[in-house]
Amino acid sequence: MSALGAAMAFSVAACNNQTGFSGSVGNTPNGPPLAAYDILGTVGTPFIATVSDSRSSWTLQGVVPLDIIIANNILPAAIIATKTTSNSNLLSVEIISGFRVANVQSTSAPFGTVSLQIGGTLSSISPPADPDLRIFNSGPLNERYSALVEDVSTGWVIDGRAPTLILFDNPDGKVDATFFGGQDYGSFTLNMTLGGAVVATVVHGPDATIREP
Amino acid sequence: MKHSFVHRTAGGLIVAFVIVIGVLLAGVGSARAAKNAMVEVGFVGVPPPNFQNVLLNVQSVRINPDVSAAPGNGKWQTIPVPPGIGNAGRNADLQIDLNASQNTPQIFNTAGVQAGTYRIVELRLDSNNPGTLVPDCPNAPGTIANPSNTADGCISYPIQLAGNNVITFSNADGLIFPANKIMTPLILQVSMSAPVPPTVPGGAYTVTITLTTPPTNAAETGIVTGSVNVNGSKGSGSSASGKIRKLTVTAEAIGTNTAIASTPVKNGQYTLILPAAATFGTLYDLAVAGGADTYAAQRLLPLYQGQQINAEFTGSNSLTGGQTLGNITGTISDNCVATKPIVGATLQLLIPPDPPNPNSSVDCSVPGNAPLCVAVATANTDNTGYFPLPGTISIPAEFENVPVVPKKTPYVMEVTAPGYDPLFVYAVPTSNSKGGTCAPIGSTTPTFGACDFALNTGYITGAIPIEPPVPGQTTLVQVFAEDAGTNNIESALPMPITVTSSNGGTIGYTLNVPPSVSTFDLFATTIDTYQGVTDPYPGHTIVVKSGVTGPAEPSKPGACSTATPTPFDQSIECIGHGSVTGIVGNANLGTSVVLSKQDTVSLDFVAITNTLVQNQLPNLTPSNNYSFCAPADTYQVQEWQLPTPEADATPSSSPTASPVPDTAAIVMIPLPPSAGGPSPTPTPAIRCPTTCENPDGTCPGICSNVIQPLPPTPSPAPTP
Repeated sequence: MSALGAAMAFSVAACNNQTGFSGSVGNTPNGPPLAAYDILGTVGTPFIATVSDSRSSWTLQGVVPLDIIIANNILPAAIIATKTTSNSNLLSVEIISGFRVANVQSTSAPFGTVSLQIGGTLSSISPPADPDLRIFNSGPLNERYSALVEDVSTGWVIDGRAPTLILFDNPDGKVDATFFGGQDYGSFTLNMTLGGAVVATVVHGPDATIREP
Repeated sequence: MKHSFVHRTAGGLIVAFVIVIGVLLAGVGSARAAKNAMVEVGFVGVPPPNFQNVLLNVQSVRINPDVSAAPGNGKWQTIPVPPGIGNAGRNADLQIDLNASQNTPQIFNTAGVQAGTYRIVELRLDSNNPGTLVPDCPNAPGTIANPSNTADGCISYPIQLAGNNVITFSNADGLIFPANKIMTPLILQVSMSAPVPPTVPGGAYTVTITLTTPPTNAAETGIVTGSVNVNGSKGSGSSASGKIRKLTVTAEAIGTNTAIASTPVKNGQYTLILPAAATFGTLYDLAVAGGADTYAAQRLLPLYQGQQINAEFTGSNSLTGGQTLGNITGTISDNCVATKPIVGATLQLLIPPDPPNPNSSVDCSVPGNAPLCVAVATANTDNTGYFPLPGTISIPAEFENVPVVPKKTPYVMEVTAPGYDPLFVYAVPTSNSKGGTCAPIGSTTPTFGACDFALNTGYITGAIPIEPPVPGQTTLVQVFAEDAGTNNIESALPMPITVTSSNGGTIGYTLNVPPSVSTFDLFATTIDTYQGVTDPYPGHTIVVKSGVTGPAEPSKPGACSTATPTPFDQSIECIGHGSVTGIVGNANLGTSVVLSKQDTVSLDFVAITNTLVQNQLPNLTPSNNYSFCAPADTYQVQEWQLPTPEADATPSSSPTASPVPDTAAIVMIPLPPSAGGPSPTPTPAIRCPTTCENPDGTCPGICSNVIQPLPPTPSPAPTP
């Protein structure tokens, strides 16, 4: 975790308690750095993807670009993404670990598929996540932000760019997330889904907090 | 087998643009004020022979006026990976395939630089992961007696560079001379010399990469340039957010919303440098949008290498400025499952091309006319089905900057999603936050309401026999549906099917398909690993089923139909890799080769994938070759041909390829010898499982290549 990230996490913790967050939320110890699964290429290219760590898996649809992060993940992990158009648009999937590209695969084939792994060999796709809690930050597009995503026991600092889909694997209690955009960031557009149903929506900036009800 | 076929062609495009991402407008033009000259970087590949993919991971290109500039010299100008791949300040790689860019260049990105004379260029590869090679299978698999071919084919090998990860080329007299407000091309020829195979299993190929500019092969680009006149209140206009997109000209692959390159209009002028197939021609649409001006579009004549097309937006084709801008927002959902959002749906505003195109007054609301129209604005739905996705802080989304029009002359909006019927509606933006209004097409007095729509779908559900994997392993299966008799895929499973050893020998699948299509061909393939590492090509049989009758249109919302064809007759089994390669006679840049497999019941062939014929004239040493990596099985390969565009006729729509008579050949890729297990093996260095494993502990060993020229040599006439 970067020094900036750590500082951010601590400042969030203090701020959260002052603004009335309950229990230990905001005071969680930091989790280890997370790998990011970046789905890139021709903007607007639709895809389907399956993301799996060694405990849970998620299926999703989306369009390029999209960054996917699994909070509380257990490696090894894998991602399989398939373009869902018959054109020659590029779909490129990168696994980012420690601020470098750990693995990359691309396809321009109609309905082409790429698959990548990190942290070893994932012998099989894990069962669907239960609960399936997702936080989606849809914009502003491409703007850098930091976020603290936490359950009651651990917090993860994320340095990302919208749009980002955060998958929370096996949360311990309720989940919340605070996003920091900095000056002139505009407004975050956030939603949280649980089992596919939208349970919280927030449009706020330059900082925003979304909490599981 | 749509698995990781890198940089293949789309069936309907005149030439497969090896992708183009450089377009994505946010990257056009640097924010740095002094960088008023524009440089567009592209790559032409010169790969070594006998490789299915030759992939390099490019992080950036730098240029410098000083031929001996040190790495930290302050005059380096960087052209980064395009915004669709990376974003400022973030590490990202653009993966280029030297195989696919041998004729038409792969556009990398466009960036602003300081005007001047640049004498050295650097190609900066990812130092940790500079690239990947996928060799074809050896023609003679290795044995203990002949150990030269003990490296398997159709799997990924990392590369290590003989030098460092920065490849340079210089010319003391200057490489390029970008000037202010001028677009200057920088086409780099990237060559890889004969790679040295790894000496240990899983090792890396050692390669030497060199750079040249201008390319010794023909740099197949052309120029489209012209003027854009804006009548009325030029430069004025308003939007609810107060932010207005810049007036921009975008070249799109004909009949699509796929942007190939884009440039802002400066002082009423624009210039685009585009891939242009030598003597065959490449087809483009131009879309003009932004600046609080009305939209405009043109469909161009074929663009040839070295040619310039002047496309003017003046006179009666002028834009009108001072527009009030509004937004169009809403949701797209599934008409069969209540409240189910459609994620990743695409919405396009279509307008007819400007005169003198004969279709300049065509009604784009008629679905059959859509191919005649040009997309001038595009949006996508998010994970809740809502559109559009937000723009950046400074650049609003295209659907947040739509010139407001009256309801009597609405826009035509096309909504598409894989597995669903397309939908055409009227759309009128509103200048407040209400998100515009929309109306179904068909009524003489359309009733406008919220832009919330549901798309029709149907289902095909069935079963596929499979040989279950051995205990401890899994097999992932993906199923595709394509229009019968074509290579046009309509949909795929939302998630691959996971098969374990406890499987009883059959898997069930359910596909979303558009009910407007009457008949489908289906095929199923696997997503495999090779000794635990990502495998770019499957090692299980691909199974096909032709002529599947699709579901009926829903009778009412929620009443959706399901078609239940008989199970596949073929079984998914562990057979290992193989490849087929060959030379295509009389090919041109509209020639491709399609790999198909026969349905053993109907005897029809089902198209699985296709590839361009690579390295053609006017390259100095043309080979006219094609290649496929495919599981060891029996297939048909056949030439397909796009019609040659007429040089003096604007096409009405994107042409489609069709099979060339008497060019089909049946090829049988032999099974690899068994490795591991109780049987003696010719390849003892291989440990099982390779791509999969059999119950007796054996697994497919080193694969084999089959050579099949096209058109095939006619069989000798039978002796009477």
